[in-house]
Amino acid sequence: MEIKELIQELSAFKGVSNASMIRDNVVKLDIDKNSSKEFFTKLRDDFGFEHCSLITAIDNQPEFELVYHFTSINKSVTVGSTDMSVMTEVHVFLERDTPTIESISDLWGGANWHEREAFDLMGIYFVGHPDLRRVLLPEGFAGHPLRKDYVYEIHEEEW
Amino acid sequence: MAEMWISMGPQHPMTHGLWTLKVKVDGETITDADPELGYLHRSVEKMGERRKYFMNTTLTDRLCYASSTTWTHCYVLTVEELMNVEIPERAKYVRTIMLELQRLASHLMWAGSYMPDLGHITGALYFWRDRELFLNLLEVPSGSRLLYNYIRIGGVKRDLPDGFVEKAERVMKLFEQRLDEYSDLFENSKIFRMRTEDVGKFTAAQAQNLGITGPNMRGCGTKFDLRRNDPYEIYEEIDWDIQTREAGPGYGDCFSRYMVRIDEMKESMRIIRDCFKKMPKGPTLASTIPVRAQGEAFRRTEDSRGEALMYIVGDGTDRPYRWKIKSPMFTTISAAPHYLKGYKVADIPAIMGSVDICIGETDK
Amino acid sequence: MTLFGACRIMAELSIRILIPIFEFQEGLFPPFSNPAGWIADWLATDGGLDTMAWFYAVNIALMVGMTNLILVIHLERKIAARIQDRRGPMLSFRALREIGEDLSGNAPSWKFKKNYSGIGILQNIADGLKALTKELIIPTKADKFLFTMGPIIFISSSVFLLALFPLSDRFAASSAPAGLMVIMAAFSIAPIGILTSGWASNNKYSMIGGMRSAAQLMSYEIPLLLSMAGVFLVAGSFDPVTIVEQQRESTWLFGLPMWNIIPQFIGFVVFMVCILAEVERVPFDLPEAEAELVEGWTTEYSGIRFMFFLMAEYIRGFAGAAVATILFLGGWAGPWPVPPEIWFLIKVYLIIIFWIFIRWSVPRIRTDQILVLGWKKLLPLSLINILIVIFMVEIYPYFTAIVNLPEVF
Repeated sequence: MEIKELIQELSAFKGVSNASMIRDNVVKLDIDKNSSKEFFTKLRDDFGFEHCSLITAIDNQPEFELVYHFTSINKSVTVGSTDMSVMTEVHVFLERDTPTIESISDLWGGANWHEREAFDLMGIYFVGHPDLRRVLLPEGFAGHPLRKDYVYEIHEEEW
Repeated sequence: MAEMWISMGPQHPMTHGLWTLKVKVDGETITDADPELGYLHRSVEKMGERRKYFMNTTLTDRLCYASSTTWTHCYVLTVEELMNVEIPERAKYVRTIMLELQRLASHLMWAGSYMPDLGHITGALYFWRDRELFLNLLEVPSGSRLLYNYIRIGGVKRDLPDGFVEKAERVMKLFEQRLDEYSDLFENSKIFRMRTEDVGKFTAAQAQNLGITGPNMRGCGTKFDLRRNDPYEIYEEIDWDIQTREAGPGYGDCFSRYMVRIDEMKESMRIIRDCFKKMPKGPTLASTIPVRAQGEAFRRTEDSRGEALMYIVGDGTDRPYRWKIKSPMFTTISAAPHYLKGYKVADIPAIMGSVDICIGETDK
Repeated sequence: MTLFGACRIMAELSIRILIPIFEFQEGLFPPFSNPAGWIADWLATDGGLDTMAWFYAVNIALMVGMTNLILVIHLERKIAARIQDRRGPMLSFRALREIGEDLSGNAPSWKFKKNYSGIGILQNIADGLKALTKELIIPTKADKFLFTMGPIIFISSSVFLLALFPLSDRFAASSAPAGLMVIMAAFSIAPIGILTSGWASNNKYSMIGGMRSAAQLMSYEIPLLLSMAGVFLVAGSFDPVTIVEQQRESTWLFGLPMWNIIPQFIGFVVFMVCILAEVERVPFDLPEAEAELVEGWTTEYSGIRFMFFLMAEYIRGFAGAAVATILFLGGWAGPWPVPPEIWFLIKVYLIIIFWIFIRWSVPRIRTDQILVLGWKKLLPLSLINILIVIFMVEIYPYFTAIVNLPEVF
């Protein structure tokens, strides 16, 4: 399908808002946290985004933001007659105190370690993840360093 | 013998880079694997938030030390998108030439460290001897052999000096002859084929789901290369082909990945020659480069190992608010249990070597 | 003038110094005088002289073997370096003299010559000294007795080999009638040493490496012995002297010698592959491979014990090449001006150079592929070789029309 149809179909989904296009081949949208898992399932199965490129966690001071990037490798979505592959960028907003969201590592195997890294450095908990532990920092490290309010001296005694 | 966990620990001659691979073996067969990272974590992302945009190019050079220009380039592309900077035409050509030279150097380094894993120590010396030729070439414009800091926001630091084209032509002609010799020595060797064929197989669908990109995915027959499917710089105007190889319908083994990289090296030389022919004259650095940026942007490029992606959020100041680096090796190492299962312990160096691991970019 | 004869003469000469010493001691100390007297009396007899001669002969064989070992190691390093487009070790007396000139004369320190030239012989001495001065570490939980016994078994069986094969029919330190069988038996003691070292290191990796190595060695014994059986059938004995005699005397067209390599070429190929697997050179060196398990069964060894393993490996390589020469390449047979010992050594070094070229051109084979090769491919080939030999021997009368085999049946 064409990318314009993709935007229309995705915007029609429950919980999606702010759909727009970046450059020629990226669809950007926001989604509500509770309907995220169904949306992602539909994205993989119906629209053919079979590669999870990146999961970023951002600390906007009053809240957390998760940015998901997905790529379509096998031309299920096209941009005119070019060879360009289409990506989708999905933003989800989580509250500060207990940032949790459903894990998508059963849909995409590549999302497994991206979610572990988001948990490790930013402290976002993914419900249903098979093995959520620290990946880059050593076990037993306390605190989530990439947060804006992380102060090293506080955690020094614990580590 | 019961099943036991063997830890190919952080200090091991086989693991290129500093990481631990724990494998669960039942006799000689592998049943599970558990890689551990983090020994080289330097918190590049957090450091980047403290430094100005143009200072971060020195950090990105050191992300993957084997292929440093491509990471700097990915960062600089993202920042240019964020700041809306137009770079001159000649700068695009020079960047492409440096990127392809870097790809050659990186693939040669991979080949030079893959051969001793299989037991062929002479192969290491041959490939690294050729890498010296390309490092000398890369030293001419940028001044340094390994970590260049050559690609800047808005263009490149300096123009290519006179005589560079002739030097590069000489080196490439010599290297092409040597590649022919190597194909006789390595590909036609029965023992090499016995070690690498039918080993470390995964299908293209598995690769796409698990996040394995780049030459590893092209070794399964998928015709997908970000230089063609999401073009940047000058790749649209240059005549080149995507190299893929399959070991069977839709899956790839170590030998096909090896062949993909060797073919990519030949293709890189073709791209460099084309760039030399088509390069216009002009400035190599944009005349005005903004300092502050607001908004968010991401770009992805085809690193020597796969799909490198950078996502930057700017908040109006001259430092990034959030900088995220995606390394292709992060997900490839995480998929290790899938392509190690069922093979023998003696296959581990062959498989992990063919996947081309660089821990610097994985651990950030 | 055989080696034994020369040593007997040396023994008689040295008796003239030793017997007066022992008789002097007889007069000195009452507690020691009796044994000294008995030794002096015994030395003068025939048995004593023979024993001393054997002692000298074996020592000479050992020295010859050790010199060859140094040469083989040196050759390997230099040839490997040239294959890899570099020079190899260059430290030698000439280099030392050049360094001395640089240091002593009026050259300031920054003007040292960049490439000191030399043949590189001193490098081996430097490596030996380095190995001697390293600390001998035994892991805490390792079995101390077996840990030390492993390398001792390994190297003692290898050095034992040096005294067993003759360099020519005059230069033989041992005259066992079943010479080659004793050599093969000494080759086969090595797996005991390997398994002991691997197990006693108390290290999962070493144990795995030791077991892999033992599996490889034991599975290649059978094709090895079967490929040798062809030669034994034709020659009629296990004695190296007889085998070389048989090859020297069998000729074909225009008097060219028909060494065993020509009719038994399959046997030669099988033997070459099997002996490479026995001495664990690339392409069969997975058990001690660096990339797989960090040296395999020798992981925990350091210093002189590790040097023992290395030396024993090269000695076994040399002995293997010597056996190949005796069996297939005609041993010490060759035209007159060059003495037979030199012919023997030339042929042995040719085989060793061939092995060095293979080692540095070819990757490693995986253990299960090695075992498949040994059991499924080499064993049938060696049996085919025996069939060919039996065929040859049975149609002997018709065969002598082409070939002159000596009457052995």
